[in-house]
Order: sequence, then structure tokens, then C-alpha cells
Amino acid sequence: MPMLGQLALALALVLAIYSIGANIYGVRRHQPDVIVSARHALWAMCAMVTVAMLALWTGLLRSNFSLEYVASYSSTTLPTIYKITALWGGQQGSLLFWTWLLSIFTAIVAFQNRRKNLEIAPWALSVMAGVAIFFLAMLNFVTRPFDLLAIIPAQGTDLNPLLQNYWMAIHPPSLYVGYVSTTVPFAFGAAALITRKLDDTWIRTTRRWAIFSWFFLTLGNLFGARWAYEVLGWGGYWAWDPVENAAFMPWLVMTAYLHSVMIQERKDMLKIWNLVLIGMAFGLTLFGTFITRSGVISSVHSFTQSGLGPYFLSFLIGVVVLYAALLISRVKDLRSPAEFESYLSREAAFLFNNLALIGIAFAVFWGTLFPVLSEAVRGVKITVGPPFFNRVNAPLALGLIFLMGVGPLIAWRRTTPRNLVRSFATPVILGVFTGLCALAAGLTQWYALTAFSLAAFVLGTVLVEFRRGVSARRHLVNEPPARALVNLVAKNNRRYGGYIIHIGVICAFVGIVGSSFFKTEVKASVKEGQSFAIGSYRLRYAGLESSETPHLETVRAKVVVTRDGRAVTTLTPAKLFYKAAQQPATDVALRSTPAADLYLVLAGFDQTTATATFQVFLTPLVFWIWLGGFVMAFGTVIAMWPNVRERAAIAATVRGRLADDRFASEPTGGGR
Amino acid sequence: MKLALVIAMLALLIAAPPAAPAVTPKTSRQAVAEGLTCQCGCGLTVANCNHPNCEFSVPAREKIDHLIAQGLTRVQIIAIFRAKYGEKVLSSPTTQGFNLLAWVTPPLVMVMGAMLVMFTISRWRTARPGPAPPGAPHITPPDADNPDLRRELERRLRERI
Repeated sequence: MPMLGQLALALALVLAIYSIGANIYGVRRHQPDVIVSARHALWAMCAMVTVAMLALWTGLLRSNFSLEYVASYSSTTLPTIYKITALWGGQQGSLLFWTWLLSIFTAIVAFQNRRKNLEIAPWALSVMAGVAIFFLAMLNFVTRPFDLLAIIPAQGTDLNPLLQNYWMAIHPPSLYVGYVSTTVPFAFGAAALITRKLDDTWIRTTRRWAIFSWFFLTLGNLFGARWAYEVLGWGGYWAWDPVENAAFMPWLVMTAYLHSVMIQERKDMLKIWNLVLIGMAFGLTLFGTFITRSGVISSVHSFTQSGLGPYFLSFLIGVVVLYAALLISRVKDLRSPAEFESYLSREAAFLFNNLALIGIAFAVFWGTLFPVLSEAVRGVKITVGPPFFNRVNAPLALGLIFLMGVGPLIAWRRTTPRNLVRSFATPVILGVFTGLCALAAGLTQWYALTAFSLAAFVLGTVLVEFRRGVSARRHLVNEPPARALVNLVAKNNRRYGGYIIHIGVICAFVGIVGSSFFKTEVKASVKEGQSFAIGSYRLRYAGLESSETPHLETVRAKVVVTRDGRAVTTLTPAKLFYKAAQQPATDVALRSTPAADLYLVLAGFDQTTATATFQVFLTPLVFWIWLGGFVMAFGTVIAMWPNVRERAAIAATVRGRLADDRFASEPTGGGR
Repeated sequence: MKLALVIAMLALLIAAPPAAPAVTPKTSRQAVAEGLTCQCGCGLTVANCNHPNCEFSVPAREKIDHLIAQGLTRVQIIAIFRAKYGEKVLSSPTTQGFNLLAWVTPPLVMVMGAMLVMFTISRWRTARPGPAPPGAPHITPPDADNPDLRRELERRLRERI
């Protein structure tokens, strides 16, 4: 199996190289057969990488410790699900997984464009194959997943206990799918530049890919935050760690891109800016991989130093320089007729929204890199931690939320002051009313007050938009409200899916503000039977239970939670000890409600004195972050779904093809 | 000059510690611990490191409590840690010397970005097509009261909405 895997990777590399040559030759010499062979080569490449994936998975499932990778990231006692997820638990496996995703996306793009975009698709596929060549070269020559050990150990060193969690089973794949799928719009953008087909074809062709990428980047960040929240046991979900930042930056840039392309699709403007944004998004995914794997910046999430850094940096610089040179060489062709009437227009709101998003992305980038800069310039190691990022980004986040409210209600081209008042009266009243209520409830922090008011304002704008749409349908089509709402969203899914995403963002924003400003914490050492309090909860320690499996030892505390004298729940936080890895871990106990999360950690215990130490956090509104994430995901699915008109167009195309095929299969000659 | 002033003010606003209230409150352990980075490798602040037997954050928190009990302020306590462990123990860069760049650059970039956006918009606005040149065909705006036109408009609206 290891030999098969290595051979498959070598063949995949050869096929990727061939596909580039064949695509370019076929396009230049107008040889459709050669282009078809390039496409087949990409499908074969995908099959070969799949074989390599299956080979490594087989090694993991069979605990084949002759493979260095399996011996380093698995053990015989590791549960099967984590043997599967161990594939992305280490350096080589995760690179292989990345390459596999890239090969699948390349194969899908090749299939989708086999009869359309005949001018730019071969170039886009060449760009994608170029990226695949880099990763396949790494897997073949630098960080090989199928390297064998001279002496086969009886037991593996096991997967890092922090990664033995169900969120880790889905967080890295989601994030990787998000990262890797940015390659598709990037490749089409680059292809548009190469072929000088600079209209919005490349944007329309990859619109769903861009949303798909954003969807998975959102889920990846969300699952990662949830993993940190449940596993790391510090009561938080985001620590502005370099690797977290690396996942956040592409999300910000892709968000800017998804807004900005609307201006190009509608008004044929911002062509250069959109190409810059997609280049940035792709570059940032490479940058994220570079900092995760180079060891240049220390991070809790980093892989050990692997020597991959220089290769990734060279590739990143190469991509940036080539793409920038291509863009600069096409600037004249990218100039578009400017048609801009007023600052009070949706175009202007989108431009400032882009500014805020890119401003935050820059601040995160700058804060992440500043320690490296400081060490290089002054020779002094410094830390840029959460206080920096929170302070720099907090005002920008408020600005962004404000613009999120303004964008949907302001008209394209220009808005008259009268329309402005009519559109914004309800949201402004809602915002002010919320602020006053919060003030009356005793909230004094100006940031939280402003944030909650703005959140209400944005929700107001979304509600106004839905109300307008529904009443327009009721007036024109005479539908009942519920049916009008469903049809409104179904017919304009991209627009209203976007508004649902806005609702999700607001939910998450409220959760972030609430959990950041109003978290309380108590640490208590108690004997069995004793209790302690946090907020309105009372927690009684009711004893310890121990259990053991071949894989881990568990010591679980039983804590009875009451509120106003009434039993609410029993929480069972635990201390875990992974035997093969010889590492401890924490199992947090949670009681989550929309108002607040009760978060209980067993910090320590002494069985001789029957004493346990608990760390408890009462975190208001954190529930809304996760809910907001899923609302965002739901909105994205709606936005991506083919709408009525698109489904009709697809059906017509299929009917046309069927008819063509029928004609093609019928005998044409009359000689018989 | 004005721009430099705006940028300096923005940077100071962001980098400056929160304004002190009229009555200085007692220094809290949380406020001090948030300003220090745990050196155990967890990447969190001393306030957030949750390793139960952490060799750095546990004694650091005890020391903070001890120094607060002696009446020292947040700034003084952080200075003591800095003197012992160096700048890397601070959870954010100082606002002096080279480190000021960390704070000034993001607002500077934002201001420059905002100026670029406003400049671009104003250039686009002035580049708008002007009135039709003499001799150009005159297009009469459609009559909004035309019943055929209204019917067609409503039909298209029904399709779109």
C-alpha cells in the first residue's frame, strides 16, 4: 500500500505537468483533441491523488506503523473515527488532504467547463494544475506521507489529545475546503487576465464557487472557535492566535469580494479591484499555510517546524509577483466607464464596506506579522496578543456593522434625502430604542451600548427589506403573507439569502459583544458536598467517578446545578489522560442557554482530601455566536441554490441537449 | 500636516489605555493579567491560561495578587514583569519607539484607504457623462400614465419579485 500511494503521487505529478502542457499547446495550436486529453489528464490526476489518500487511510486504519506518518499520529487504541481524522492531524497527511481537495475541485471545474468557456477554461485549469504541481512536488520530494521507518514500533505515539474531539473531525476539512476552493475564482481571474477576456464572465462562471468557498471558510472559522471553546478550557473561543488569524483573513477578503463583484456585475466597474481581491484571498490562504507550517510565528496550532517554510514562501512570492505583473500589464484593458452619481448610493456603501473589511484584514495581518518585524529590526521578541487586536479592530467592526445596515436600504446610483428618511426611519428608531432600553437596564459600557443599538438598526433594515418585498408581492400577485415571503426568497434567493446572512452576522456580533464584555469567572476549591455560586447559579460538588479504557483514563466530577433553589442540571466535567500520548486533557461541561452559558472546568482534584477545584465561567449571549453561524450557513445555502429562473434555464439546456443527442443518434443517411 | 494630525490622534485614541474614571478603582487581577502573556506556550494571556499547574500563569497570578495587596498599580506591576521577562511578556506592543508603528499603521492605512475611496468617487462623479451634445437624438421619457406601459411594468415586476 505505501508503495502504491507513493507511486500514485508520482503519477499525479506527471499528469498535472502534462495537463498544463497539453492545455497550452491545445489552445495555442487550436487542437481541441489535445485540450480534451489535458482534461482527461486532470481527471486521472484526481484519481491518482484519491488512490494515495485511500492508501494512507488504509495505513491508518490498519495501524501500519511501518509508515512513519501512521506511527507519529496514530496508535492501536485510537478510536476509529480519529484514525480517519488523523489523516489531517499531521503535516504530510494534511498536505495530502489539501492536494486531494484541489484535485477534486480541478476535476469538477474541468467537467463543468467541458462545453463552455472554451477560451478561458483551459487557462484556468492550467493555473489550478500549476498550484497542484507545487503541492504534489512537496508530497513527492519534501514532506512524503509514505516514508517508511527502518524499525517498526509496536505502538504509535498517538494523535494529539487536543485533536481527539468531534469538532476536529469537521473543523479542518471545512476550513481546507474553504481555503482550497478560493483557487477556482483565482484561477479564472488569472485566466481572464491571460486571455484578456476581461468582462464579467470569469465572475459569473465562478460566482457559486466563491460563495461555496465563503460558506466553508465561515463554517471552518466557526467550528474552530467552537473547538477552542469546548477543548481548550479557558472559557473563550478566539485568542487572535496567528493560525486563527490566518483563517480569518481570507474570510474577510472573500466577504469584501462577494460584495464588490455585485458592482461589477451591475455596473461593469471595479474590474481591477475585484481581481486584486481574489488574488489577495488566494494569497492569504497560501500565507496561512505558510505560517502554520514554517514555524516563523509561534502558535498553539502550528505543526512542528518542518522545513516547508522556504518552499511555501517562495511559492507565495512567485504567485504574488506573477499575478501582480499580469494585472499591471492588463490595466489599460481593465479600465471601465465610470458611472458614479452620489456618495449616498449603494455603490458608495459597498466601497466603504470593502474599506472596512480590508482595513480589518490588514490590521490582523499587521498584528500577526509585527513580532517577526520587531525581531528582524530590533532583535527583540514581542507579543501581539488579544488586547491589540481587540482595540484596533473594535472601531472598525462598528463601522462595518453600520455599513451592513446602510447597504441594503440605500438605492443604486443615488438616494434622495426624502427616500433616506423614509427607508431608515424604522431601523433608526429600533436602534435608538434598543440603546435606551439597554441604558435603562444599567448597561454603561459605551461600546456595548453602541454595538447593541447598531445590531438592532441592522436587523431593522433587514426587516424593512423583507416587509417591502412581501407587500410588493401581495400587491402585485395577491398572495397571503407567508406564501409571499416564501416566493419572494425563492425568486430572489441571492438577494434575500444575503439578508439572512446579515441576520446571522448580527446574531454572532451580539454574541461576541455579550461574551466579551460581561463574562464572569469564579475559581473554587470545594470538598464533596460543599457548594459555591456564580451569578444566580449554585453548584454543589457531589463527588468523583473514575473510569478507564485501553485508550484513556477519565476522572469525572459530578456537580449538581441549582438556580433559585430548583435543580437545573447535573454537569460532569472531567480530566482525561491519554495513555499512548502520555498527555492530559480537559473535558469541559456546558449548560448552554440563549441568555448565558455556564461553563465548568475540573481544574484539579485531590482524592485523599475529597477536594476538587473548579473553574467556572458564566458567559452571556455566547449561544448567539453559534446560532449566528448556522443562520449564516443557511443564508448561504439559499443564496447558492439555483432560483426559479436558473432552474428553468438549466431544464431548457438539458432538453436542448437531449434533443441534440436524439438527433445525433438517429440515422442521417437515406441510403438504407 | 492636517492628515498627520488626524493620523496621530487616531493612533493615540486606539493605543491609549481606557480613560481613567474620576475615582481610580482598585487594581484588579484581571486587568493586570490581561496585559501579560503566559510564557508556557499556550499563546493566551495570564488571565486566560487554563493549564491547572501552569509553571508561569499560576505563580504569576499569585504574584499579581501579592503586588496588588501592596498597593501597586497596574502599570507598576506590569513594569515589574517586563523588567524580569522582557518585552515578550507584554500582551500588546508598547506605544514607544518602533512599537508605535504597530499601533499607527492600521489607522494610517485606513485613513489612506478612505481618502483613496473618496478621491476615486469624486473623480468618477466628475467623469459622469454630461448633457447630450447638440444634434444628438432626443429621447422622450416614457409617459408614466400610459396604461400599456403600466401593464407591461407590472408584468415584469411580477416576474422579478
